[in-house]
Amino acid sequence: MKFSANGYYIESYQKCPNCGVLMYANSEEDRKKRVEHEDKTYCSQRCVDWSIAREKRRASAAG
Amino acid sequence: MDFVTMNILDSAMVSICREMGITLMKTSYSTIFNEALDFTCGLADMNGDMIAVADFCPAQIGGMPLLVQSCLKEIPISDIHEGDIILHNDPYRGGLHTPEHTFFKPIFVEGEIMGFAVAIGHIAEVGGMAPGGFCGEATEIFQEGVRIPPVKIVKKGEDNVEVWKLLLANVRTPRVNYGDLKALIAAVDLGEKQMQGIFAKYGKAKVKETVADLLLYSEKRMRAELEMIPDGIYSFDDYVESDGVESDKNHLIHVDVHKNGGSIVMDYHGTSPQAIGPINATLGVATSAAYNAVLHMTDPTIPRNSGCFRPIEVMAEPGSLLNVDFPAPSVGGNTETHPRIVGTILGAMSKALPDRVMAAEGGTHCNFVFGGVDADTKEYFACYDLEAVGWGGRSFADGNSAVDSINGNCRITPVEVYETRFPWLIESLALDTDSGGAGKHRGGLGYSKQMLCVNDVITCSQMTDRHLLAPWGLEGGKEGGCGATLVMKDGEDTWKTMREAYGKASTSRFNNVAIRRGDRVLLRMPGGGGYGDPAERDPDAVLSDLKDGYISKEAAKKYYGYKEA
Repeated sequence: MKFSANGYYIESYQKCPNCGVLMYANSEEDRKKRVEHEDKTYCSQRCVDWSIAREKRRASAAG
Repeated sequence: MDFVTMNILDSAMVSICREMGITLMKTSYSTIFNEALDFTCGLADMNGDMIAVADFCPAQIGGMPLLVQSCLKEIPISDIHEGDIILHNDPYRGGLHTPEHTFFKPIFVEGEIMGFAVAIGHIAEVGGMAPGGFCGEATEIFQEGVRIPPVKIVKKGEDNVEVWKLLLANVRTPRVNYGDLKALIAAVDLGEKQMQGIFAKYGKAKVKETVADLLLYSEKRMRAELEMIPDGIYSFDDYVESDGVESDKNHLIHVDVHKNGGSIVMDYHGTSPQAIGPINATLGVATSAAYNAVLHMTDPTIPRNSGCFRPIEVMAEPGSLLNVDFPAPSVGGNTETHPRIVGTILGAMSKALPDRVMAAEGGTHCNFVFGGVDADTKEYFACYDLEAVGWGGRSFADGNSAVDSINGNCRITPVEVYETRFPWLIESLALDTDSGGAGKHRGGLGYSKQMLCVNDVITCSQMTDRHLLAPWGLEGGKEGGCGATLVMKDGEDTWKTMREAYGKASTSRFNNVAIRRGDRVLLRMPGGGGYGDPAERDPDAVLSDLKDGYISKEAAKKYYGYKEA
């Protein structure tokens, strides 16, 4: 979530595409855990791994 | 671990939470608080983890940690001072929906923050498009009432007057809202004071250490419970009917429950995209529903705190029905979509834990909301009326009749109070025969309430469910009865749905219908699904149900093989 420069309002919301948690732009703690994967920003490596595993499972079920 | 002190401290803190609730109940103005008890009081540590809560509403209990922690991300601990009280209701920042207002107050001991006293309450009137807070046809958040980011409503013990003025200028019932907000503040004031007494008695270090042990204890017990469930992936689908805007389009909730050792993950990917209308749930709701479902399936003596939530993870795709993106509406998510989520999880787990889940319950709070100007007092009134439903049959018992849906723990407002406070005459309120799904163990009954308008006009809205999709049965049990909202206009003699009478897109979600003097409204609440094959029902139970009017002779013959002597 990104605040305006004066902090009075929210400019944009960013959420982990896997777990859906809101990611705060000004949180150092959040920033350290973030991972980029295939042009998306995830809150953690765990969410990247889970996403990959889910896709594999679905592909296997569909196949 | 010092189990003795831990148990004493846990009991004391739960007791404090109950006292907070009693204070809120007795000092509030609205029936949603002093009769229906739609609030939750708890205690949190300085990280926002919930450390104690009493028997309040599961929706708010499960939502509390994320609510407080979201606020602490915006207001750093260093900016929180003794005597401050923070208020927040923003659905997009950890909130549940606009009516749910969270207050929390720091507990300072010798100049150090040791935790927070928390009160969450459903404010009945929050501004927005419809009196009573539930705009059934909302298409964006701005129609759902005042959205409050984390702000200090009290600063160092003094009212933050500008915030109060801004809030009260944007609601229809400022006098009542002021009273209710003050009641919530009184609750956290009491919580702070009582906890300071606990710290004085045991010392900061001992309390801190014991609370950490308590959370760890709860976590370990929950993990031990989860270990007993067979590992696997359990899936289920259920639907929310309509969104109030697009008629008769059902919205899918899908869950894959991943049970692995002492952990459980609710993966909701595969759920429908978010809706145009206000049935969307926030991540706070999706998380709270996951906790709620697990608590229903596990040992009820595990102390309820963030510790017992640690083994539970939630994955809700952004922009889906269960993780709404700005600026889509979400007022119905916390009351209507939450029970559907819980039902979906229970449905999934019925394969692993058939003895610990029930058939579908009615899954709605009715949410018939209304407002207007009282013809006698000339004051604007607004009300959030919640009603109860039948619960699902279980492997060992019938479902309970007329109990608040699974995410609430609220009471129905008594008819006498209702008629005193609002210009309605309640003509009847009775359980509905045959509304419980047939089964070896029958679903609980729903009921109907018929009301006559005795004011010039009352503006009514609603956000309910289960008018079209009946509560499902389990293990051969039959569906429960559907709900309905019907109107009979003055001078007419037929009941009509809101769609038939007012051209609304949905029978169960609508806003701002003018009910006039002499018009009648019938609210029918759904029953619960049945459990098990009806042919296996105890014949004495069938006879008893017949005698009590819970089932008709026709149903007894059709489902239970009843033969008249």
